[in-house]
Amino acid sequence: MRKQFKDTIMDLSADDDSIVLVFGDVSVYLFDEFKRKYPDRFYNMGICENTLISVSGGLRSQGFTPFVHTITPFLTERSLEQIKLDLCYNRFPANLVTCGASFDYAWDGATHHSYTDLANLRLLPEIEVLQPGSTKELDVLLRSQYNSDKTTYFRLSDHPHQIDVPVAFGKGVIIRDVGADLTVMTAGPILDNVLQAASDLDINLVYFHTIKPIDIALIEKFRQTRIVVIHDAHGLYEAIAEVPHLSLSYYGLGDHFCSWYGTVHDARHQLGLDAGGIASYLRSQIQKEGRLHVL
Amino acid sequence: MNSACKKIREDIIKISHASGHGHIPTCFSVVEVLYALYKHMRHDPQYPKWPLRDIFILSKGHASLALYTVLAEFGYFAVEEVYSFGAFNSRFGCHADRSKIAGVEASTGSLGHGIGLAVGAALGIRLKNETRQVYTLIGDGESNEGTVWEALMVADHLGLENLTVIYDDNRSHSRGLQLVNPKRKFEAFGFHVLELDGHDLNALQSAFNTRVSGPKAIVAKTVKGFGCRTLSDHQYEWHRKSPSKDQLDLLMEQLDAQAV
Repeated sequence: MRKQFKDTIMDLSADDDSIVLVFGDVSVYLFDEFKRKYPDRFYNMGICENTLISVSGGLRSQGFTPFVHTITPFLTERSLEQIKLDLCYNRFPANLVTCGASFDYAWDGATHHSYTDLANLRLLPEIEVLQPGSTKELDVLLRSQYNSDKTTYFRLSDHPHQIDVPVAFGKGVIIRDVGADLTVMTAGPILDNVLQAASDLDINLVYFHTIKPIDIALIEKFRQTRIVVIHDAHGLYEAIAEVPHLSLSYYGLGDHFCSWYGTVHDARHQLGLDAGGIASYLRSQIQKEGRLHVL
Repeated sequence: MNSACKKIREDIIKISHASGHGHIPTCFSVVEVLYALYKHMRHDPQYPKWPLRDIFILSKGHASLALYTVLAEFGYFAVEEVYSFGAFNSRFGCHADRSKIAGVEASTGSLGHGIGLAVGAALGIRLKNETRQVYTLIGDGESNEGTVWEALMVADHLGLENLTVIYDDNRSHSRGLQLVNPKRKFEAFGFHVLELDGHDLNALQSAFNTRVSGPKAIVAKTVKGFGCRTLSDHQYEWHRKSPSKDQLDLLMEQLDAQAV
């Protein structure tokens, strides 16, 4: 997905000389072409995430369109106050693009696992929060939102899904509506696992690539069903819960650190978020209701 | 004491008394710095968004009352309006907000943010091949924040010749983590450093006019509460305090005793 990030930026920059890249020593080699073509608009500013954000606010104050890019937890957790004040409150909007979210860097352990970014950022005013699950979603959303009047957060993944879904900012997608009593809502690359798990189950499936603003009208369509949010991060459930009086529950992360290593697939397996784990959970939920329908 | 700086200090304590708010000693320490800076900068109070203006960012945002009264002195607005300082519907909050006041370039308050914004603004101005200058005022207590030193490193790395960082060396944090020899520290971070009496308008003017290669730091030796012994001798008691009527009279008397 980072390659798509680079390709889309290269394309946009051909017509937009306001784009300035402020990187935290990540993806620097990947953007070598940009650096060669626009040497005064590429800055590997070092490992100082707070200052990457503040400097980007200053660049915006002078009319530029900054992209800040580094690893998810360091940008979104360490620098939350800079995002809140220097970008959002000051209305110096910038684009925040991160890699390594959730368990993409599982092997690096708990210091590099990141699952609070969506939940924390969506609480800030003046921000858009996006979790593109595929390269197509990233491309479309990047083009439509990079110069919006709000700070925009793009949460990239090294493991995008391959499912082709419609993409429009702020719009969720009905992947499947079979009129079932149970609706699964999910976001991001884990759609692969969810779709596989749900393939032979009688459930509706709704997908989001925009976490904020959440598509309230779409959620309302499933108000009469029991909604289960399946997600390998915090934030989507809380966004959906803004719609009052839903029958809503969450299946994903527990109240503990994930202290193992391995790959994202190992992490998902351990958490019960691989296809098998999700399928077992969904079957148990359907059985609890006394309605096990195999399509 | 310069008569305008004396008037600004009188405004500060009267507004603090009337509003019940204000960090008076830290405001008093920067009056000459701000007055000299606004005398030096390219700016137009009648056209605050003038595209060719220099930029000033008050990183030590709690000195907002000093900024407001200096801006009023230069004609951005009537000082009478600042008497609403900190009130619910006032546009003059205890930390300045750029969306409310023409002439305020950044909304600051949480320490260690304004300097990073200033570095970004200086980089942006250089990218546009403009000759405008960027100034930011940081506090010595504020400089406990690591972000200050990150921003300095980046400014040095980028060689931002259009950036001047003014360090208010009023020893506000002598009871905590006081920086020892700030001049040496700024030099170690790649800045050309000018150290001076922060209450000496001529020295300040000269320092602002000094051209250096690379980013510039001005270490302004100042006194918290400068001009009123009651404040400078009891700076911790007065760090955030509004004077009663009797105290206001006392402070005004002490200011009156200053030669102009």
